[in-house]
Amino acid sequence: MLKNYLKIALLVLQRRKFFTFISLFGISFTLLVLMVATAMFDHEFGPFAPELKTDRMLGIYSVRIENSEKGYARTGASPYWFLQRYVRPLASAQKVSIYSLQRSVNSFKNGVKHELYLKRTDGEFWEILDFKFLEGGPLSAQDEKDGNMVAVINEATRRKLYGGQNAVGKTLDADGQSFRVIGVVENVPILRVTSFADVWVPLSSAKTNSYLHDGAGNFLAIILAKDRADIPRIKEELQGVLPTVQIPSPTEFNRVITAAETLFEAAARGIFANDRDAGDYSKPLFALLLLFMLLFMLLPTINLININVSRIMERASEIGVRKAFGASSWRLIGQFVVENLVLTFIGGAIALVGTMMVLKIITESGLVQYAEFQINYRIFFYGLLVALVFGLLSGVYPAWKMSRLHPVEALRGKSI
Amino acid sequence: MIKHLFKLVWNRKRSNLLIMLEIFFSFIVMFAVITLGVYYADNYNQPLGFTYEDVWNISIDMQTGTDDYWSPEMVNTTRQLYLALQDFPEIEVAAGAHSAPYSLGNRTSVNVYEGKRVEMEVNEVTDDFQKVLGVPLLQGRWFEKSDDALSWKPVIINQRLARAVFGDEDPINQNFRPWASDEDDHRVIGVVNDFRKDGEFSGLGNYLFERKRLDDPKNRPPANLLIKVRPGTPAEFEERLLSKLQAVAREWSFEVSPLVRMRETAFKFRLIPLIILGLIAGFLMLMVGLGLVGVLWQNVTQRIKEIGLRRAKGAAANDIYKQILGELVVLATFGLALGALLIVQLPLLDLIGFIRPPVYFFSMIMALLVIYGLTLTAGLYPSWLATRVQPAEALHYD
Repeated sequence: MLKNYLKIALLVLQRRKFFTFISLFGISFTLLVLMVATAMFDHEFGPFAPELKTDRMLGIYSVRIENSEKGYARTGASPYWFLQRYVRPLASAQKVSIYSLQRSVNSFKNGVKHELYLKRTDGEFWEILDFKFLEGGPLSAQDEKDGNMVAVINEATRRKLYGGQNAVGKTLDADGQSFRVIGVVENVPILRVTSFADVWVPLSSAKTNSYLHDGAGNFLAIILAKDRADIPRIKEELQGVLPTVQIPSPTEFNRVITAAETLFEAAARGIFANDRDAGDYSKPLFALLLLFMLLFMLLPTINLININVSRIMERASEIGVRKAFGASSWRLIGQFVVENLVLTFIGGAIALVGTMMVLKIITESGLVQYAEFQINYRIFFYGLLVALVFGLLSGVYPAWKMSRLHPVEALRGKSI
Repeated sequence: MIKHLFKLVWNRKRSNLLIMLEIFFSFIVMFAVITLGVYYADNYNQPLGFTYEDVWNISIDMQTGTDDYWSPEMVNTTRQLYLALQDFPEIEVAAGAHSAPYSLGNRTSVNVYEGKRVEMEVNEVTDDFQKVLGVPLLQGRWFEKSDDALSWKPVIINQRLARAVFGDEDPINQNFRPWASDEDDHRVIGVVNDFRKDGEFSGLGNYLFERKRLDDPKNRPPANLLIKVRPGTPAEFEERLLSKLQAVAREWSFEVSPLVRMRETAFKFRLIPLIILGLIAGFLMLMVGLGLVGVLWQNVTQRIKEIGLRRAKGAAANDIYKQILGELVVLATFGLALGALLIVQLPLLDLIGFIRPPVYFFSMIMALLVIYGLTLTAGLYPSWLATRVQPAEALHYD
């Protein structure tokens, strides 16, 4: 029976080519926009090299140090002392890494200025993340301890500064400091908050060591769990530690608010709670994104419903015959919904090809540094799901309307 | 005639409701995108309040996580940097500022003045700031060296702030404190036309300058040094400049960028989202237009009998044309009236305060015209089709 529906669906599509074209245009355009948006979202939050263990990773992205009586606070990346004294020793974590936000620095080579993003990291950073090395190796805990002036650079920097030749052992001048290159890794897109940089150097290579005891700072942490089950335990342990934190300037500040969380949870907490409490706001953010998606689909859905309703009228006599021979309303609804899904999935296939092209254009435009947007199975399945929802939304109402046609009137070709 | 059209639309209310809904939502989408575009265009046409040509910004990273604290050494080092700049023949004049034009991040203050809540952006700048950026003064004077001796603190405000606070009174020499927590006596010494730090596309707001001194340890050292270079200074100068700065302050980091380049980045930041939104909205409208053509076409084929009867009774082809388009206009008017009714609430209830009401109304009219145009264009072909109906053919159609 399903086979018959498919056959009919394809025949109907060929009958009025203009209608088929406008339906497919609307469907593929809508799905294309949603799939491109999903690809962007996935490249920001999904697991991508070098952050492959995202299911076992938590981070400290934002710390609020406040004076709860007077109401002022300092919110943002963490000072070093907090991470070193209270996050690094967490017993339920397997590994903890402390690293700085990347900063734009200048490097001059033969009179030409290159702007590079520089990130300072410890040795654990390279054990937790899976960077792909093109040559040489990572920074080690020993480099961090000894304050060695060594650097790992990305492929793009190797090309810019050394013409793509082997760079290990060569000197890199950046921000008035001089480093020895010990490794070259594949480019990391700027969307990856945790791992992105052009140059990675040890924390201890900083120009002064005042960061060790400064009241403020721009440091973040990665917490790696042994397995997924440990994630809630780590979150709880950190919350348990917070009330015991001794702030270096206790007269000024008396409370620390933060959470061990995924990047998505951190974004949600920032949006909904302005980092003022440590709750989990990922569900509301997810609901909000879903709402945006539905809002965007509203106009295309109405448009498609309109076209579908028109198309059914053409087929009034066919429906009349089927009804006269005993087809139930439900069966007709089923048939029409299937037909509409066939149409939607054809549109989805066109959208998939279009998405690949748009992603290629965005990648080549260099709008998002080092990003190589591609379709992966997550985006594909999500696209499939959206197409299904879209097909159902736009198919059910016209189908219901069609099924209510009176057979006698339908046979006479009367309008709905 | 119009009454008759209403009746015709009403008779087919079910299928027309969906078309009306579609027009309604298209209008909302179009309005949102056009408003954003008009808002930017309106901002672009307002005076900027400074010139960016041949000005470079040196942003200083003092390697502390916050600028809430500073030591006397930091103030002294900044002063040394400033003095070092004087040695370069390429630099005409230099000044310090808390925030540089086209940079991200703002210092916003909210204060209450005689019961009025005033929100403003605050910047701290040195005496030569006006010379570097060519800020035109409307009234009063700019900061100068002799202000060191004053027993009160001078401030300079933009015209919008002067009007918001003092109305028609002369703002010069009035007392006005930028920060609610600051107990010192502050007085207005000058009024500038405007200073839009975030650039041409940014919204219009209140602005206030405080005077910054480089030789007073109680003054926060500036995070930026702005320099006016001689026209035609080559990019290589940057390297020499940086090595000199680095030699004065070994532990700090610097970033040098011409304002022209910062302006480009700021433009991209604003315009790329607008372009993407515009593209999406354009495609949505194309989709809606095509959909309307399909639906109207179907409507016409369905009403062949009715149209045939009219032709048989002597209606000219032109009358049919007018009828179909007329029905469409009635339909669109319903959808648009509903949308306009909803949108008018925004400026009336002051829901999005930073957009000026004229921008709203202009965008609304533009959106109305676009949607009317779209619907009528979509109706042209189907109504032409309707005029081709032959009475004889139509009447025995069954």
